[in-house]
Order: sequence, then C-alpha cells, then structure tokens
Amino acid sequence: MSSVRRTNDFLVGASVLIVAVLLIVTVLWVQQADIGGKTRHIVARTRDVGGVALGNPVVIRGVRAGQVEGIALGERGWVVLKLAIDKGVSLPADPVVLLVAASLFGEWQVTVTDATGIPPDRDLRAALLAAHTNSDTLAGAALPDIAQLTSVAGRIAGDVAKVSDRVQVAFDDKAAAELRESIKNFALLSSELASTVKLQSKNLEHISSSVQQGLATVNAAAANLNHFSARVDSATSRGELQTLVTNSQTAARELVEATKALRKLSDDVNVTQTRLSAAVSRTDSVLRKINDGQGTLGRMVNDPHLYQNSDSLVTELRSLVADLKKNPKRYINLRVF
Amino acid sequence: MGVSRLPIVSTTAPSRAVSGITALGRGVRESVESIGTGYRFVIDVLRASRDSRSWMPEFTLHARTLGVGSLPIGIFIAIFTGIVLALLASYSVGDIVPPYFVGTLVQKTVTLELAPVLTGLALAGRVGANIAAELGTMRVTEQIDALETLTFDPLSYLVVPRVFASTLMFPIVVGVAMVVGVTSGWLAAIGLLDVTTPQFLKGVRIFFADFDVRYGLVKAASFGAAVSLIGCRAGLTTMGGAQGVGRNATRAVVISAVMILVLDAFWAVVWLTGRTLK
Repeated sequence: MSSVRRTNDFLVGASVLIVAVLLIVTVLWVQQADIGGKTRHIVARTRDVGGVALGNPVVIRGVRAGQVEGIALGERGWVVLKLAIDKGVSLPADPVVLLVAASLFGEWQVTVTDATGIPPDRDLRAALLAAHTNSDTLAGAALPDIAQLTSVAGRIAGDVAKVSDRVQVAFDDKAAAELRESIKNFALLSSELASTVKLQSKNLEHISSSVQQGLATVNAAAANLNHFSARVDSATSRGELQTLVTNSQTAARELVEATKALRKLSDDVNVTQTRLSAAVSRTDSVLRKINDGQGTLGRMVNDPHLYQNSDSLVTELRSLVADLKKNPKRYINLRVF
Repeated sequence: MGVSRLPIVSTTAPSRAVSGITALGRGVRESVESIGTGYRFVIDVLRASRDSRSWMPEFTLHARTLGVGSLPIGIFIAIFTGIVLALLASYSVGDIVPPYFVGTLVQKTVTLELAPVLTGLALAGRVGANIAAELGTMRVTEQIDALETLTFDPLSYLVVPRVFASTLMFPIVVGVAMVVGVTSGWLAAIGLLDVTTPQFLKGVRIFFADFDVRYGLVKAASFGAAVSLIGCRAGLTTMGGAQGVGRNATRAVVISAVMILVLDAFWAVVWLTGRTLK
C-alpha cells in the first residue's frame, strides 16, 4: 500500500468520523438528550394530549424543568405521558399536570402545578379528578388551545352575523324610515316636554310664590285673629257679647219661623205644580187625539171634506136665509083653520 | 377513407410536412433512448459494483478528491447561507413573532433545504465537471479503450469508485454545512440582531426533530449519486476531442443541477407530504 493511498484512507476516514461524531453530538445536544442520567422520570395520564409533542418543555412555576420524553396510548382510553424532570427539581406538594398552549404559534408545554393552583374551570377540575390515581401517576388534563378558542369565537361571530342579518331583514328601508320618523317625533315630543316642563317649572315657581304669599296672608290672618281674639276677650269682659248672642238667638228664631212658612208655601206650590202637570198631560192627550184625527173634533180638524161640506152648508144656509127673507111665504105658511 | 386515398410517399424529395413529422419522431426516439440508455447505464454500474477488487482501491482516492476536497466550498456556502437566513428571518417576520423564531427558521431551512441543495448545486459544478472532464479526456485520448484492451472493466474501475465516493461524501459535506450554517446563523443573530443565545437555542430546539437531519443527509446522498452518474456517463460518451470534452462537461453540470432540483422535489413529495411536526 503506497503512502499516498494511506494518506487518502486516513483523510477520508477522519473526515467521515469527525463529521459523523459532530452531527451526532450536535443532534443530541439540540435534543437535550439525557446523557449520564441527569434526570428523573414521572408519569402522568390524561384523556387527550392536545398539541403536546415529544421534546416539549416541562415547566414548574414558569421555569423549564424538563421535557416530554414519551407519549403513549394507555388502557381504558388514557394517554400516558413520560416526563423527564431535572434531578434537582422538586415537585409541588399535590402535583397535577396541565397541558397548555405556550404561544399562538403552536407551541405546547406541560405545566406541573399544585392542585390548589389550577384555574377555576369546572370541566378542568372534573377531568383532573377523573385522571387521579392512588399510584405515582399524576393526574393530567389538556386545556383548550387557541384553535379551539378561535373556533368557538368563530361560531359566536357566525351567530352574531346571523342575528345581524335578521336585524337587517327586520329593519328594512321602510322600518328605518319609520324609525327615523319615530325618532323625529320623539325628539319633537322631548322638545315639547322640555318646554312644558319649563312652563310648569315657571308655574310651579309662581305657585310657590303664591303659596308664599298665601302663607304670608295666613300669617296676617292669624295675627288678625289674635287681634280679634283679644278684642273678643275684651268684649266679653264688658257684656256686649251677651247682648249680641241674645239678638242672634232672636234672629235665629225668626229665621226658623220664616223658613217654616217658606216650606209650607213650597209644599203648596208643589201640589199646584202636580195638578197643573196633570191638567197639561190631559190637555196634551186630548190634543194628540185631535191631531191624530180621533173623535169628532179630530175629524173636524183633520178632514178637509167636512170643512168643505160645512162651507157649502153655510153658503146654502146663507142663500136659504136670503131666499127666506125674500120669499117668507114660501117657507112659512100660517093657517088658522 | 379508402386505400386509394392514402398519400403516396415520394422516394425522391420529401415534402416539408413529412420532414417535420420525421424530425418530431426522431426527437421522441432520442429522448426515450437517452432515458433507456441512462437506465441501462445505472444497471451496468450496479452490476459492475460486484467487482469490488477493481473499485475498492480507488475509492478513497476519489472520496478525498470529491469529498474532502469539497469541504471548503461547502463550509463557505454554509457560512453565508446561515448569515443571510438569520437576517432574512428577522427582516421577514420582524416583531410579529417572538425573536427565537429566528433560530427555528435558520435551523429548519438550513437542515431541510439549503444545506443539501446549495451544497449539491455547488458540488454538481465541481464534482460533475471534474468527473466528466476527466473521463472525457480519457475517452478522447483512448485510455479507456486501452483499459478495455487490457480486460479492465471501465465501469468497475472508473465509474463505480467515483459513484460510491460521491454518494458517501456528499452527506459528509452537507452534514458539515448543516452545522456550520446553523452556527453562522446563530453568530449572525447574536451579533447583528437583537437575539440572545438562549433565545436562538430555544428556537432551534423547540421544533427540532432528528428527522430533519436524516432527511437532509438522504437527499445529499441521492444528489451525490446523481451527480456522479451523470458526470461519468457524460465523460464516457465524449466524442470529438477537447471541444467534445468541454461540451460534455458543461452538459453534465447542467443536467446535474436540474436533476438535483428534481430529486429535491421528489424527496419532498415522498417524505414531507402529509407529515407534520407532531
């Protein structure tokens, strides 16, 4: 074997070896492989891992403390997570595992926290309770990720859009015009109400001032009353009041007698009115019968033939009387034997 | 249409239409023929690889020439690729995403795509032209005819060691380019951008998968095989003296570059379709 060939062999072998070692070491370093057993492992179980993948960080109180080393399907629908935790790190007193989205860009992380520090979500607490075991396996649950939240938000936005469409359908141009008109009327009404309130306010002020004047008058009257009381008091003391009372009693007695006479007169008037009313009603009845053509008088009043007959009778009587005056012998023939 | 209406082909002067159709048929035949001869060449090379006593002594020589000698150009390309990628990532996404995504973008882009493809294209020029010119010169100077006269199989003696050396050493060069590219991106990020080392490393680690490295190395190996096979075939089919050597060397480089891009798309379809980070 020549030296050139040996040199070639060495260079190629060294290149391959160095590059292979470099690549392997780099990959292990980037993956943070556990070389030398610097980590300990804990196991957790959840119903769903969400977006958690191998190598995602394990965080305790916000500090990275390890990574996810294994994800496997377990019994009875559970998913078993194998977490590598740095040896120097101690877990919380009552640890539970939450799988949460670390950012908006699809990164997830596993948070180990105390059971008392989990968010006040009923579903989350129920999921953790269901995942709880009496063994060393920690209970875990996945929180909804951004995609699910945005999906829900999208659904809500869709509902809002539907409601908006319906409102748009309900409030067409006609409804909008009516609404505008109503608003205009309301504005007018509001304006009138404001002016009314203003006016009433003025009236109220006026009333208030009147009341104040009235109160002043009442005060004055009270003063006058006091003055009158004082005068009455003084009058009582001189016997004038006794005379006044006696005169008043006399006047009252006369007034009672006059009232009695007036009442009797009123009763007589009532009787007379009753009689007059009866006479009027009877007259009205007679007149109604005459008007209806009942009876002789009614016929005479209402039948024109009778008038014409009477008229012709009178005419004939006049001609008869004239003829009688002219020729008495024709009608009167006195014979004495 | 009756038989009497068929055109009568003249034996003296073919019409323009007939000449065009004939040229089209000749082009199709030559294309298919080149594919067939290429396929047959690959089969012959694989068959010749059984004669390890012929190609094994030559392997390290070509591995050194094609691979170790190509390391500087691979490193050079990777250094500038990493720097450009870090700046490009910062420019493209700016404050929209956290700064550690610079590390993610540099790692993913260098490992999956740029280190294999850019290095492959550079080596297509260096290695492909080297092989085509070397074998072409041997062909036009009748050295290959002499080997055949001495009962040496030119394929097992000349082609197989070059193909194997290229296939092995391309991933080595690309592997170095990956490490250097990410490292230069990291240095550019902490030196030119407002990104710290922990942020850059977080970005590198957060979406890293060893599949990325395997994918890049397999692509590089396929590029190496393609470039060497194309170069060897171009060299062995050289005719026409020095002009023919130059023409076939150029042809080898062009076809190699095209084939690298075709293989790049092929591996992406095969390995990346339907694959997610999870």
